[in-house]
Amino acid sequence: MLLNLKNISKWVQSGGQKVFLLKDINFWVNEGDFISIMGPSGSGKSTLLNVIGMLDDFNEGEYSFLDESVHTLKEKHRANLYKQYVGFVFQAYHLIDELTVKENLEMPLLYKKHSASERKSLVGDMLDRFNIVGKKDLFPAQLSGGQQQLVGVARALIASPKLILADEPTGNLNSKQGEEIMEIFTQLNKEGVTIIQVTHSEKNMAYGSRVINLLDGSIV
Amino acid sequence: MYNLYFKIAIRYLLKNKLYSVINILGLAIGVASFILIMVYVNYENDYDKFAGSENVYRVYMDYKKGDQFVPGDAQTYNVTGPTFQKEFPEVLDFTRFYRLEKTTLKIENKIIEETNGNLADPSYFEIFNQTLLKGDITTALVEPNSIVLTETVAKKLFGNENPIGKTISVFWGSQVLATIKGVMQDIPKNTHFKINYLLSFETIQTWDEFEGQKKPDWSRNNYFTYLKIDKNADISLLQKKITESNFEDDPDERHNIEPIEDIHLYSNKPYEAELNGSVVRVKFLTAIAFIILILSWLNYINLSTTKSLERAKEIGIRKVAGAQKQQLIIQLLLESMILNMIAIIMAIVLAIIILPLYNSFTGKALTFELASLANILPILGFILLGMMLAGLYPAILLSNYSPSKALKGKIKTSANGLNIRKGLIITQFLATIVLLIGTIVVTKQINYIQKQPIGSDLNDIVAIHGEILNKKSDSLLIQDFTTLSNEMRKLSMVKDVTTTQTYPGDGYDNLSSFMEITHPDGTKEGNVTYYFYIAESNYFDLMDIEFLAGNTFLPNSKINDRNLVINEKFAKEIGIPNPKESINQKVKFWDVEWNIIGVIKNYHHFGLKTPMQPVMIRYGKIRNNLLVKLDPEVASTIGYQSSLSQLQHVWEEVFPQSTFNYTFINKKFQAQYEEDTKFSEAFKIFTALAIFIAALGLFGLTSYTCIQRKKEIGIRKVNGASIFKILKLLNIDFIKWVGVAFIIAVPIAWYAMNSWLENFAVKTNLSWWVFILAGIMALGITLLTVSWQSFMAANGNPVDALRNE
Repeated sequence: MLLNLKNISKWVQSGGQKVFLLKDINFWVNEGDFISIMGPSGSGKSTLLNVIGMLDDFNEGEYSFLDESVHTLKEKHRANLYKQYVGFVFQAYHLIDELTVKENLEMPLLYKKHSASERKSLVGDMLDRFNIVGKKDLFPAQLSGGQQQLVGVARALIASPKLILADEPTGNLNSKQGEEIMEIFTQLNKEGVTIIQVTHSEKNMAYGSRVINLLDGSIV
Repeated sequence: MYNLYFKIAIRYLLKNKLYSVINILGLAIGVASFILIMVYVNYENDYDKFAGSENVYRVYMDYKKGDQFVPGDAQTYNVTGPTFQKEFPEVLDFTRFYRLEKTTLKIENKIIEETNGNLADPSYFEIFNQTLLKGDITTALVEPNSIVLTETVAKKLFGNENPIGKTISVFWGSQVLATIKGVMQDIPKNTHFKINYLLSFETIQTWDEFEGQKKPDWSRNNYFTYLKIDKNADISLLQKKITESNFEDDPDERHNIEPIEDIHLYSNKPYEAELNGSVVRVKFLTAIAFIILILSWLNYINLSTTKSLERAKEIGIRKVAGAQKQQLIIQLLLESMILNMIAIIMAIVLAIIILPLYNSFTGKALTFELASLANILPILGFILLGMMLAGLYPAILLSNYSPSKALKGKIKTSANGLNIRKGLIITQFLATIVLLIGTIVVTKQINYIQKQPIGSDLNDIVAIHGEILNKKSDSLLIQDFTTLSNEMRKLSMVKDVTTTQTYPGDGYDNLSSFMEITHPDGTKEGNVTYYFYIAESNYFDLMDIEFLAGNTFLPNSKINDRNLVINEKFAKEIGIPNPKESINQKVKFWDVEWNIIGVIKNYHHFGLKTPMQPVMIRYGKIRNNLLVKLDPEVASTIGYQSSLSQLQHVWEEVFPQSTFNYTFINKKFQAQYEEDTKFSEAFKIFTALAIFIAALGLFGLTSYTCIQRKKEIGIRKVNGASIFKILKLLNIDFIKWVGVAFIIAVPIAWYAMNSWLENFAVKTNLSWWVFILAGIMALGITLLTVSWQSFMAANGNPVDALRNE
């Protein structure tokens, strides 16, 4: 088992009342899963993804990731954990505008202990794999949305994570670009990478092996 | 990794050009101003600092005023030095100076005029740590009629020739011949005791000009005395011994000592060697320097915090990619260092470019030499430290953003963060308002002084002074002056001519004084310094000095010899406040009885920084100064320059072998305030810069608030708020902050400016409108700065604002 969420709840105080963002979520993921989280706006999909990605706290429950209990870890250890095992892909790509494609890919490696030559070869591999060698010195603004997301995926993968968290990865793309990205995910999943995606689209959902439906913060 | 940090920093700066330019410019101006002011401040603080200067003290005289002693005279007796060395073991050595203010040097056919000649003891070189470039330092000033020239004077007279052993004529009243025994280095510019050449002190014994002063005694204090004191000595004990000693047997005065290093900034006694600086001015400038620097940092913090909102996304991405907080802080600090470094380099370049201009403005010789670099190092250290701190706040703020929120663009700064920025901006307003009030007060005071009636009309009066090289100073020469005056009166542009010992604005240079006097009612008194000078009958008329009672001397009459004209203050001091009653009263000094024939209205002889002093004028024909009153209409028709050459022509006809100098005495009077006028100019310039920097910061904060409140503005507009209402909403805070800053600024500025005004005997009021005006100006500048952006925000399409949500 890669990760396991037990009775996870997250809320905010609003006007003296608890407003639940997540309520009593029980949920596990095995290595090699391809999971789609679905639900209407405001149902808590992204919040759940952020909790899994350790970007957000939760108020109640237990969360273990590779048998480490996340809720008891200090922030620094938590960061080390996701740094090592998790890659993120975003709807809005979230590339750094001031960095070239190559530098964007290299960026996560800077925060881990890789030598310059290692970084160079890893970036080179990624550029090859996604067929974007010719774009390596361009800035994000010079790329199409599909190409940007390609870079986004490449960046998520560069540190060889066990888990990819994708928050509506095709949301800003046209259908053809979207299909390309989903094909890549399928391919990655076959290679053993675990993928959790948040999506609105039934079509994208179909790429996954398991679906979790959320409504008002609870799994239905 | 740092490579990449560097790269992204540069790209970021280039991408946000306006932001970078504003930020760098603000910092560069701040740092450049700071450096320039501090170089000046250092120069002032470094006056009279040389190896061993910490053990050198000047002796001066305290005079009794009421039952207290106050500093009364920078000069001492010729026996002060030798007596002190004998009586006080702490005094290792002494040197005396007798100042020759304006002199003429002649060698063969070469004649130059040289100021600041001095008779000095041979110990001068050791005490003042001076060396000789040529000549034997141990003997150069030992024998009478020996002279040591500075390098510059030697060059003027001899070019590259070796002057040692040559004989030179020195004219000061009369002539003395001296053998050149040495050439010394030019003395540093920042010394209060300027020297262009030194005559051996023993020359007094051979020079007839010093008749009556050859024997050391306690009769005339016309000598500067400097002591070298044992470095282990207890100074306060020595000072006590000196003030309690009374070698001259006069209960109304005492000797005192002060460190030579303190003279330039702290001493302002009668008969100083030169017009000294002012510690108040230096303190004010230091304060302004720090205010500007801190303003530019606050501005930087404001702008970079504002801008950091736009970087939230990047920070979020980096965090998600695994960046730790420290790594982000390092990156952001590095960026701020790069920006600051660019600003500092620009500032240094700017300072170097401006320096010559700045020097001609300050009238100082400031440099960025290696020697002075040591002084600047702490300044640079301070700048770097401040820079780090200024970079740290935005860095910590940014690195604290939660990644999930940062990525969603939902960064809301805490109330705390907003308070910090509010505090920063109020501090900026505070500094700006204080500087504005300062500028207004300084300008007001300078104007006030310049418009102040001085009790005499100094306009269109030329004081002519020259050295007559071939004649002795005797009654025949005085006869020549009468001829000269009559000849000059024949010129069309000359209204009148008179001779006088001194005139208003001439300072203490040519003025005599005494203290022991017997009042008309017989009281003997020695508490007050009475000043006097010699003038002719038509002097008062020419100077337009008004008589309150009595009249001037009868022209060309023997009776005049024991007659006096006194000023109101004099009359008051001798116990006759009503001018009319003082006519024909007798006072006694120098064992002679004098008859008061006239009382003049007080006029400012010493300028407006010195309180009114008792002054009297006695009759005589004297050759110190020939005053020529020009008819401004005629003079301007034929031109002042040609008027002067006509005067010179007449002068040279009467005195074929002579030098000719002239001064417009109103200019000389104004020169006393030159430093203050410059100070007021500097105040204006630096205030303008400070306001500019503060406005940049304000600009930054406004764009920040507008971004922050974009949604609020959108919602209000959708619900029907007018642009005016929204402008009011956006600007009301700034108005409040100006108000808060104003309330804090007023007492600070009031206190500071009051202490500056203490420098002047005649001072303007700190009227309420000064403060109000500064407040209104600050408010005006603020509204002007913020309105454009507020207007853009208020005028924007609300749909754009709300779409993001």
